[in-house]
Amino acid sequence: MDELPIQTGDDVVRIRQHVRNAAAASGLSLVDQTKLVTAASELARNTLIHGGGGVVRVEVVKSAVGRNGVRLHFADEGPGIPDVDLALTDGWTSGSGLGLGLSGSRRLVDEFELKSEPGLGTNVVVVKWSR
Amino acid sequence: MLDELSRNRARSGFTPSETALSVFSLKEAVYELVTEAADLVPEYLAFSLMIDDLGLRTIETYSAAREQIISDQAASMLELSTPVVRLWDGIIAVPIVGTLDSARTQLVMEKLLETLVATGADHAVIDITGVPTVDTEVAQHLLKTVSAARLLGAECTISGIRPQVAQTIVSLGIEFGDIATKATLADALALALRQAGLKVVQS
Amino acid sequence: MEQVPILKIGQTLFVSIQIDLQDESVLRLQEDLAEELAATSARGVIIDITAVEIVDSFIGRMLAMIGQISRLFDAETVIVGMRPAVAITLTELGLSLSGVRTALNAEKGLAILNGRA
Repeated sequence: MDELPIQTGDDVVRIRQHVRNAAAASGLSLVDQTKLVTAASELARNTLIHGGGGVVRVEVVKSAVGRNGVRLHFADEGPGIPDVDLALTDGWTSGSGLGLGLSGSRRLVDEFELKSEPGLGTNVVVVKWSR
Repeated sequence: MLDELSRNRARSGFTPSETALSVFSLKEAVYELVTEAADLVPEYLAFSLMIDDLGLRTIETYSAAREQIISDQAASMLELSTPVVRLWDGIIAVPIVGTLDSARTQLVMEKLLETLVATGADHAVIDITGVPTVDTEVAQHLLKTVSAARLLGAECTISGIRPQVAQTIVSLGIEFGDIATKATLADALALALRQAGLKVVQS
Repeated sequence: MEQVPILKIGQTLFVSIQIDLQDESVLRLQEDLAEELAATSARGVIIDITAVEIVDSFIGRMLAMIGQISRLFDAETVIVGMRPAVAITLTELGLSLSGVRTALNAEKGLAILNGRA
């Protein structure tokens, strides 16, 4: 497992590259790699801009039936999200982009878990499996 | 090593029981020796339990191998039933046959877009004559596909709207917005040719 | 921060994004394009993203904004060369980039620009 800092715009670029490599190594198709890296970019940006900076842990995982996958855990100790349900709504047709990019990222991955509380920071864990 | 053996046997068509039985037969071989020495019974028990584990393991590996075969075949079938054909210069068509679920939509999008890049086509016709039901979910899938094709500069027409399907679409309140829809592939081709500034003339 | 070069050929501004851009660089590009459009009589902008592997919601919105900005200068923007994987991902994200024209390549993009009166 690798832990990468999210403190600058350059970090976000570095994270994209790192996640891309992990996704390719896990055997994800090109489209799935692109989806995962794009989700990582969204979440890393959120951590940076709304969370005041944080870290991401990148891990290659194996499912119970033996499939490879990549697990990303974004963590920050920022102000947290007051209304998680609201942040996660945003039908795919709206595309106004005013949200936190969370609902979009959720559609790009297979597993999505969000824990956030005002004062306790935000933790987002996503997993994408190879087919 | 046992996994390898089990997988190979699965591929050769042996049932998992046959493979497991051959593992269990080891017990019999060892039992022969134990009958001569009673103090070996505890060891024999431990050995027996270990062999049971190995036997179960061969069955699990067999299952996993079969699962993989099934999923590979399903993927093949999906691939084969989603052709993208070239109707004319710059006009391609994707006839969709069967239910349009998310898995198939992903494949349709990938193949359609790759073909757009490979042929440089400006127009794609998505034919849904072979799609049994068109509900809001299927409509969403179609809208997504058109959206993606448009990002590559292609215009899309949906053809194969049967009368019943048209009624369902309207009653469900589905809007196709500015996407042209036609009853038949022929109508869609005529529209695409018109938009390309081409005319079919009788000689 | 990298500055993306803008080429002017005739009445068209060409931008080719070759690398993985940081947010600041994209903002800078937007500013530079606005300045170029104001300073020249360019009627069209072609943004080539053939080499771009990732377009997330921020970059997507920036591209849409560049389209809107160019229209204020009576110019049209065409985004060309989007990769299939990127198009599929953007669609999943819910970004249709409506308001900006798109084309398969620079040649087709130019054809669109030249088709304007």
